[in-house]
Amino acid sequence: MAQWPHERSLVKNLKDKPFALIGVHLDYGGDDASVVKRVMTKEQLNWRSFVDRGPIADKWKPAGTPSFYIIDSKGVIRHKWAGAPAAKAIDTALEKVIQEAE
Amino acid sequence: MRVIKRTQINRRVPIGRRIYAANWECVLTLVLCMFATLAVGAPQDKPATPAEKYQALLKERQDGPEESSKATTAEERKQTQARLAKLPQRFFELAEQNPNDPVALEALIQTVSVVNGTAFPVGGKGSLDERALALLRRDHVQSEKLGLVCQHVLFGFHKSHEEFLRAVLELNPRAEVQGLACLSLAQYLNDRLNRLELLPGQPELVERYHRVFGKEYVEQLQRQDRAAVSKEAELLFDRAAEKYGDVKIPVTYYGSGGTIREKAEAELFQIRHLAVGKVAPEIEGEDQEGKHFKLSDYRGKVVLLDFWYRL
Repeated sequence: MAQWPHERSLVKNLKDKPFALIGVHLDYGGDDASVVKRVMTKEQLNWRSFVDRGPIADKWKPAGTPSFYIIDSKGVIRHKWAGAPAAKAIDTALEKVIQEAE
Repeated sequence: MRVIKRTQINRRVPIGRRIYAANWECVLTLVLCMFATLAVGAPQDKPATPAEKYQALLKERQDGPEESSKATTAEERKQTQARLAKLPQRFFELAEQNPNDPVALEALIQTVSVVNGTAFPVGGKGSLDERALALLRRDHVQSEKLGLVCQHVLFGFHKSHEEFLRAVLELNPRAEVQGLACLSLAQYLNDRLNRLELLPGQPELVERYHRVFGKEYVEQLQRQDRAAVSKEAELLFDRAAEKYGDVKIPVTYYGSGGTIREKAEAELFQIRHLAVGKVAPEIEGEDQEGKHFKLSDYRGKVVLLDFWYRL
């Protein structure tokens, strides 16, 4: 996936910051945890992901995958994107919100 | 971007290209094409009736994508595309020249549908779309066929779209049409707010919006009271769900149908719980190791939440 290299570097570069990347793997009634785990191990996606087969997507109704949200340290949604934005847009937004949390 | 195709996910039209040909329209077009075939069989020396002209245009629209793909040379492709680009104009002229013929309504609907089925930003001041909507308001505002037209312009941006939706909501006597006008107006206001938020820091996009919709109009929108518009959208979604909840939304290339209640409630949930500034709803579930966890476990940290698919 196009966003993986950027996500790997975020997790690596921000490991000492109050930051977490959390995935929600979305597949209606499809892939279970074992399939998702295999892919994440193989692709070195070193973060945690919910394995959703419907309930989370029913509530959040993302326009598609990938969709991103930045949630601040108080749990408030600060940014959202349907589709992958430029890496720079995520970096800039994260930097500001992380600074507030420190 | 991968679009989720299961029932409950409401597909949003990508900001880039949209393909035309709605599902139900294909069915309608097929039926009409059968009539068109009959019409073609008629003697050629008589001038074509408005209905025959309409069928011929409809067939061109229907065959357009296939014809484009059949073109073997760049020149051929260019010619086909140039001819297809004139379709809205020809539909509109047919309606304008035959205002009292039943095909006028159909031809105007086609104009709006073709124009709004192309890449955003479309329409705008003095456009065919604006003129077609003005005629629909003048001559057909009570028609039972306007529900789908309302859905066609919900991703619009121009003032004429808004005025059309408000007029249909106020003046159309049929509950199904009122319902779709109410829902579409709410979606339009909401979507327009979202688009306005993309403008700051993107001078090229601003320039395109100014060119299509007029600088004055865009600047006026940027000055509007965001909270008040958002509130109006919310009230309209509420009203759509309560008053017109059971009305079915036609299946189109940008939406998978369902009822007005389902769509409005999903939009209300987005506005009330998933908008920027709202506390993120809890997520609970299992991770890839099968271990249960919650989004709120990460309170105190900034979370980048990524909805993804493995392929």
